[in-house]
Amino acid sequence: MTPEVQRLERLAERLRSVDPVMPSPGAKIRGWNLVLAAVEQSASGRSRSHPVRRLVLAAVAAAVLLVGGAVAASADSLPDSALYPLKAVVENVRGALAFSPSDKFAYHLDLARTRLTEAEAMIARHRLDLAGQALSGLNDQLNQAALVVQAEQLSDPALAASLENRLVQAIAMHDQQLAGLQGQVTNPAAIAAITQARDRAAQALQTAAKPTSSDGGKPSTTSSDKGPGNGASATPHTTPKH
Amino acid sequence: MQPLGKAASDDDRPLIERVRRGDQDAARILYERYFDRIYNYVYARLGRAEDAEDLAIDTMTRSLTRLDLFRDQGVAFSSWVYRIAHNATIDHYRRQGKAILVPLESATVPVSADPSELAVDQLSNDDLREALRALTDEQQQVLILRFFQDLTAAQAARIMGKSVGAVQALQHRALGSLERVLHGRTNN
Repeated sequence: MTPEVQRLERLAERLRSVDPVMPSPGAKIRGWNLVLAAVEQSASGRSRSHPVRRLVLAAVAAAVLLVGGAVAASADSLPDSALYPLKAVVENVRGALAFSPSDKFAYHLDLARTRLTEAEAMIARHRLDLAGQALSGLNDQLNQAALVVQAEQLSDPALAASLENRLVQAIAMHDQQLAGLQGQVTNPAAIAAITQARDRAAQALQTAAKPTSSDGGKPSTTSSDKGPGNGASATPHTTPKH
Repeated sequence: MQPLGKAASDDDRPLIERVRRGDQDAARILYERYFDRIYNYVYARLGRAEDAEDLAIDTMTRSLTRLDLFRDQGVAFSSWVYRIAHNATIDHYRRQGKAILVPLESATVPVSADPSELAVDQLSNDDLREALRALTDEQQQVLILRFFQDLTAAQAARIMGKSVGAVQALQHRALGSLERVLHGRTNN
């Protein structure tokens, strides 16, 4: 190997060791919200056979435009932001517009992902109190999604099976992220919160697999239910509050 | 940032089909899989976090909403996403009217005991990033893909639309240019 090649090899090795520059959690959330809106718009453009869905999307779009900049700014807000309560309102509106079981299910899974991203951001900022609330919100949303699955087991077993499969994948992905997060933190309280979140996520799967009760097909409840407003419907979200 | 292996590219296909059918979960998985990498790629080119965020978001939006333009015929989805990011970067340069080069004057490059050699291990990450931006477009691209993104020569070749041999030759020239840029800093 010539001296020049050796020098360039050393330079190449040094380049390999340059730390990657990562986006901020806020940027990632903002990016996903924008991409999701574009994907929804793109899908609605293709789906000419769903006029009601298009109307709903148009109504949502109009509402977003009317509410204006504050709402847009709140979309990527984090639990320690002053705009965060507004994010909760927007999420509630989204929940109210989710009518079908599939839409409700997707809504809860989406919020679960949002809560997880928020938890990661709060841990990065050493706001363990808010991180704990976000993790609790993550589990609540997974449980809500599980209850949607449970409710469909009698009325539409095929749909229930499909949703359950998606729930399994989502929980597996969350668990992978949580495990990665757990490996990065050293604070015992944070580790305990993450461990609890992983356990509760696994419990959501058991909820989904439970047969519904025979009293009109209503879903059975679990020990993690928190009372009224936590049923299978697209209930108001559980954005953690300050 | 996860390394971009062949398996990841293969795994993209069923997800792409699901996104085509309007599955937002699949879109989210692809977003999570590529956003950090694309951000890192664009940041290495531009050196500005705000621009990197905007272009990474723009790239992911285009990638996931124009899947009708993507045909999986030998070109992996990952290559397609990087090409979109590259084109977005070039468009950004054009909109600015000139290449945005971070001035090298602020960098401080350490001198080795032997003046003809760089003290490579003592170079800071910022020095390297800034010096890299003084290279030609293709030279930057090949070094970022190979060393910052940890892609193989074959993967970089697919993204750049070149043969593996051409990429290896370009990489060699790019490293030589980078060394000269860093030497220039040392001697100034």
